[in-house]
Amino acid sequence: MHELESVAFSVLETVAADPIGYAVEWKRRTGRPVVGSFPMNFPSEIVHATGALPVIVQESRTPITEGRSLLPEFYCSYTRSVADQAAVGELDVFDAFVLADHCVQLLGAADVIRWAKPETPMHFAQFISSMDDPWSGAQVRDKVASLRVEVEEIVGVTVTPEALRVSIRAFNANRHLLRRFYDLRKTGRLRVSARQLQVLVKSSMVMEITEHTQLLESILSGLELPSEPPDSLVRLHLSGHFCAPPRPELLDLIEECGVLVVNDDLYHGTRYISTDVPEDGDPFDALATWYLDRNVSAPCGTRVQRNVDWDSYLVDSLDDSGADGVITLMAKFCEPLMLYYPELRKVLDARDIPVLLIETEHEGLAAESIRTRVETFVERIRRQKLKVPTLA
Amino acid sequence: MTLDLSLSTKQSLDLSPTRTRTLEVVDKSNRLKSTSLGGKMVAEYWDNIFTAKERGKHVVWYNGTALNPIFQAAGLEWCHGEAFSARLAAMHLEGPAQQAGEEYGYIAELCSYARTHLGCAVMTQKGITEKQSGIVGMVDQEELASKLPSPDFFVNAYAGCSTGQQWDAMTYRVFGKDFPIFNVSLPMIWGNKKDSGYLRGTEWEKTPLYVEEQLKKLIEFIEYQTKKPFDWDALSENMSYIKRASELRLEAMALCAAAPTPATYWDWVASIAPINFLPANQLLVDYFQAVKDEIQQRIIDNISAVQNERYRVYFDGIMNWNKLGFLTRKFAEFDVAVVAGRYTHDSFWQEPQLIDLDRPLLGMAQHYLICPINHGLKIMEELLLKRCDEYAIDGIAFHSTRTCRAMTNPQHILARTAERDRGIKSFSFEGDVADAAFYKDESLESGLVAMLESIDQQRAKV
Repeated sequence: MHELESVAFSVLETVAADPIGYAVEWKRRTGRPVVGSFPMNFPSEIVHATGALPVIVQESRTPITEGRSLLPEFYCSYTRSVADQAAVGELDVFDAFVLADHCVQLLGAADVIRWAKPETPMHFAQFISSMDDPWSGAQVRDKVASLRVEVEEIVGVTVTPEALRVSIRAFNANRHLLRRFYDLRKTGRLRVSARQLQVLVKSSMVMEITEHTQLLESILSGLELPSEPPDSLVRLHLSGHFCAPPRPELLDLIEECGVLVVNDDLYHGTRYISTDVPEDGDPFDALATWYLDRNVSAPCGTRVQRNVDWDSYLVDSLDDSGADGVITLMAKFCEPLMLYYPELRKVLDARDIPVLLIETEHEGLAAESIRTRVETFVERIRRQKLKVPTLA
Repeated sequence: MTLDLSLSTKQSLDLSPTRTRTLEVVDKSNRLKSTSLGGKMVAEYWDNIFTAKERGKHVVWYNGTALNPIFQAAGLEWCHGEAFSARLAAMHLEGPAQQAGEEYGYIAELCSYARTHLGCAVMTQKGITEKQSGIVGMVDQEELASKLPSPDFFVNAYAGCSTGQQWDAMTYRVFGKDFPIFNVSLPMIWGNKKDSGYLRGTEWEKTPLYVEEQLKKLIEFIEYQTKKPFDWDALSENMSYIKRASELRLEAMALCAAAPTPATYWDWVASIAPINFLPANQLLVDYFQAVKDEIQQRIIDNISAVQNERYRVYFDGIMNWNKLGFLTRKFAEFDVAVVAGRYTHDSFWQEPQLIDLDRPLLGMAQHYLICPINHGLKIMEELLLKRCDEYAIDGIAFHSTRTCRAMTNPQHILARTAERDRGIKSFSFEGDVADAAFYKDESLESGLVAMLESIDQQRAKV
């Protein structure tokens, strides 16, 4: 396995491990506001264009304590963690919060923040989740306009089209570099662990984007290519897990079972970096276009759209990466994934593509139980590949 | 010093389980008689639906808000997914549908309304595949869950809960995308601005207009599907019945501010189906007139809904349909009158003055947006305190509904608000909307007893 050993990577690793620490330090250094947003479709560019730091609020590794008495136990780990962070004061660095996604559990957590931090602005620009209605584009443009007004008021800076174009270019450049790492992994030219790629993406959700890009460039320039993986490894695609990253130790565990992760559609992965904002035309309209385009380039179970399917997108991804099977990582109580999973399974079963479902939680990882399941899954794929055709 | 244990060991211990003891208790509840008519109306409605295909009718499957006056005006037959899931659960017939959903791959933590209804879709789709008849229920007439007629199209208009829209998107896929689907998107009334509140503020003024425009598009879609012009006069007429039925319902509810209350939350639960999806006609108005008349007569005759009412409780959360009768008796057993609730009192055409018969779509849009799960916390707090004041509430029962995150969402904070602003005690118990496996009787009983003791102590101090 290639190690992204460099000073630059260790910086990103530190930020990914302690996003709040980075935001506090950035605020101290610059004296500018920090604006928190939430997964999975908020256009950070519009906050960046004000000179504030846009940070996607991350699930904390801290055990949930106060949050237990604010959101029910049967909410997903991400939302319960956010509620807990609000209650214990971990989110105090944020000067405002903004969100665009209508998820009932996420809104519950947002309401907890409003309750715990009543003086901190919280603006919900609800982007329509039905993507292909005649009025979808106009609705999103209207919400982007309301976001513009709100962030201007929060930061006290006017978002000019020129400033927004600069931010759009900066984020596009960053996504472009991140996609290079993914492409190198997919083509086998770079052996890099799923944990390391998660660090790259997660830190990009937190750091000042040009600073992050510079570090990515430094890492890329130091890579030694190619590093071919041994043929004995089973090539797998990781699917699911919206909003929060799967635990790094779970990713390690999967790879320890003779697995080479070649692609994913995780939010802290391909889904996040899948789509660029158009750089021509009106930059505010471009953010609306980006939102609608994203569900075409990486369809998501949280959106509804008649003419795209996550399941067929997944099958195409497998063809592209040559993955032998799929591990679906499902954050417990994540309703969109619970609803969509049978459709994914149905399509994969029809194509005889093995799939394994693993549920994840905020606390606890039944490591040995999961290891046994993954090892069995890997063995099943190996045997399937060795299967001799029978004479019918 | 030694302890003499002889006395205690000679005593016989009653180790019988709580459930047994509860069932032996005399039923102290006194439900309205007039609501039984509603039960018959609902049964006839579903029986009629089951034969829709044989009668050559177009069938629409829908979820969420009450679009039925539009469907009725368009001459459609309408199947409300949640209503059917609730009916199966209330009749304890949800098992086959939930099993079909489970076999299809739905996990038990998924919304049990959705899981049950998707199970019905799987069974209906199976019926189509096996029989190619377009009429389901042929596979196994004994299974109520498999009797839904296949849809000609879907309409989704779900407020508050993000799962609602995704649920119909999945039903659409279970049927192989063979039938068209129309989505009405209902934004949350989140309270972004300082002027935001219940039925007030710029957010409230602007959002219904956006929804009204979508409803116009929905009607164009229906015209295309049915190949018939929409009957706008029929829609106004339907809404006139809805408006009158709603007024009567609210007048009857207001009478329950009396102590002891002449009717309870459970009577209003029994009246949800009529106001939520039955055809809008004179029968509907007559039903709520009869309910109101009976309540008025009870006040005259000094008849209470719970024998020896000592506590007045508000019910927050969606209904536990598996346990309707059980919970009615359970609360009454402890001299508790459950007088009002978020699900019954802040839902279902609860602001009839908004209905303008000359512009029915706007009033409909407004009602869809004031669904009790479509508000931010601030409005929910406002509504809770208003109801507590109206009905002189002593305590709140929070139904922590395992698979309904939307209804459970702010409960912990609402409990704190009620205590802080009114000194009202509360407790939380676990259950679910349509999956009996999540109900925990011990959780309810111990919580209820603790809350009542707290109320007693409060009263003693006064």
